[in-house]
Amino acid sequence: MSAILSVDGVSVQFGALKAVQEVSFQALAGAITAVIGPNGAGKSTLFNLISGAIRPSAGTVRFDGREVTGLPPQRMLAAGLSRSFQITNLFFELTVRENLRLAAQYLEQGQGLLRPLSRSTLAAQRVEELLAQFELARHADEVAGFLSHGEQRRLEIAVALASRPRMLLLDEPTQGMSHADTRDTEVLIRRLAREDGLSILLVEHDVDLVMDLSDHVVVMHQGQKLAEGAPAAVRANPAVQAAYFGEAH
Amino acid sequence: MHDTVLTTLPASVSAGRRRWSAMRWLATAFFGGALVFAAVALLLGDVFFLRLATEALIFGGLALSVDLLLGRTGLLPLGQALFFGLGAYVSALVLKEWSASFWVALGVTLVASAAVGLVGGVIAIRAKGVYFALISFGLAQVVSKVVYNTRELGASDGIIGVPGAVILPGLTSASPAGFFLVVLAFIGAVYFGLRYLMDTPLGRLLDAMRANEHRVAFLGFDPWRYKLVAFVLAAAIAGGSGALYPMLRGFVSPELMFFQVSGNAVINVIVGGTGTLIGPLYGTALLTGLRSVVGSFTAHHHIVIGVLFVVVVILMPRGLVGYGAPALQRWLDARRAAREVA
Repeated sequence: MSAILSVDGVSVQFGALKAVQEVSFQALAGAITAVIGPNGAGKSTLFNLISGAIRPSAGTVRFDGREVTGLPPQRMLAAGLSRSFQITNLFFELTVRENLRLAAQYLEQGQGLLRPLSRSTLAAQRVEELLAQFELARHADEVAGFLSHGEQRRLEIAVALASRPRMLLLDEPTQGMSHADTRDTEVLIRRLAREDGLSILLVEHDVDLVMDLSDHVVVMHQGQKLAEGAPAAVRANPAVQAAYFGEAH
Repeated sequence: MHDTVLTTLPASVSAGRRRWSAMRWLATAFFGGALVFAAVALLLGDVFFLRLATEALIFGGLALSVDLLLGRTGLLPLGQALFFGLGAYVSALVLKEWSASFWVALGVTLVASAAVGLVGGVIAIRAKGVYFALISFGLAQVVSKVVYNTRELGASDGIIGVPGAVILPGLTSASPAGFFLVVLAFIGAVYFGLRYLMDTPLGRLLDAMRANEHRVAFLGFDPWRYKLVAFVLAAAIAGGSGALYPMLRGFVSPELMFFQVSGNAVINVIVGGTGTLIGPLYGTALLTGLRSVVGSFTAHHHIVIGVLFVVVVILMPRGLVGYGAPALQRWLDARRAAREVA
């Protein structure tokens, strides 16, 4: 497997706060890579930087051999990188179907924006696929704001997937989910990587989930990369145990 | 969650092709009612009410442009009269100095207002929320003061003696019924054009921006670009509507760009039903009528309009159509269900 995403020496500074300091790592194509770390370790900042929400003050991000450092979100998506949000970020007053349709609309980029929607078959087809895959079909015509939390979290991932990205960035995908929903989401994420060959980068709080799910784990601590490696190796690393598992448990 | 009704209506229409939605009935009633009104006025030989109704339609165009921004894109324009007044001045100058043709005046105005809209949009769109509203307000203030102090444009007197515009051989804007129908056709084209737009990928993106602008960028679309498109389109609609004003009244004045006009347009939209498109036309017709009728009894008609505005906002925050359309839809559905059972 080759690296699809290379983060090289990136730093982000907010005023005097060095949120991320010279972090480098690679994510392999078709693999699940996780970034973990205690609160305030800089994982979310790192994540926002990769997805285009913020610009690094130093370092580069390369996706599929192309430099994408500091590109705005819409250009990141065009490059094939899509993300979900930790705090559910949907079109709450629109229906589930319309949320997905808007996201799937990207597939029809070249076809012009002034056709009647009835002719937008490619997007419509993608919406049906996602409704089935994410078990949202019976809520299709409900307003997204009225879904349960777990359903909204599923929709959040479905929306991020609608444009058929090559890499999916998941920001705490199981945030606030029940135990059962978390297990379902785990199965879903694994299937996306194993069956659909999607490259996945996720930031997670739930260490057990990460250890079960990931091929490669990057541990952040106080804005710096503390360790990386296979889940078992990371878990056995004394520095990680001291800094992270020691604090969290 | 107030807007659920508005956004689910078009979706339900496209899903099952309901025979006729409430919105469709309301639009038909508006334009059909306008035609009946014109026929009655023509039979009775009325001029005053035809002229008043024409003016209401013209301001209805301004309200549609405000609704495109406020109700569909989520931008509150407090200076939309800038484009309306600009259109009125450009049209007046063209008619007076260059060509008596309705089409030339309208065409030049559309191009000019879209061009100014592009410049204004680039300035205003960068700002969000209340800052956008204030920049839009500020731009209109600046331009109206410049016009007010420019002697070549008639300064505070404006431009008077604008000749009637020739629409077709034998039909000019001086014909009360004829011009009413022309303005109705223009407003109808704008209304149905916007309705069509709302059911295209572009229109849905505008709606998405109102709902959650931040997420739109992460779906691969540059929000700035589509806001600018909406702003320029709204400028052209406001300008095109303004172009009709001197054809009707024979003069233009800097007051057309003042906050009074921008503010009234926003009130018309909110009273009629933000985001419903047909609501702003009803709102403008109702309030223009009230301003004129109440104004003929008392000079304090602002008080009456103000009280009405407050009452509507408190009792029906979604406006007359925002409140009435779902009720009508429920009634239509119930009637249809009853018929299917029987």
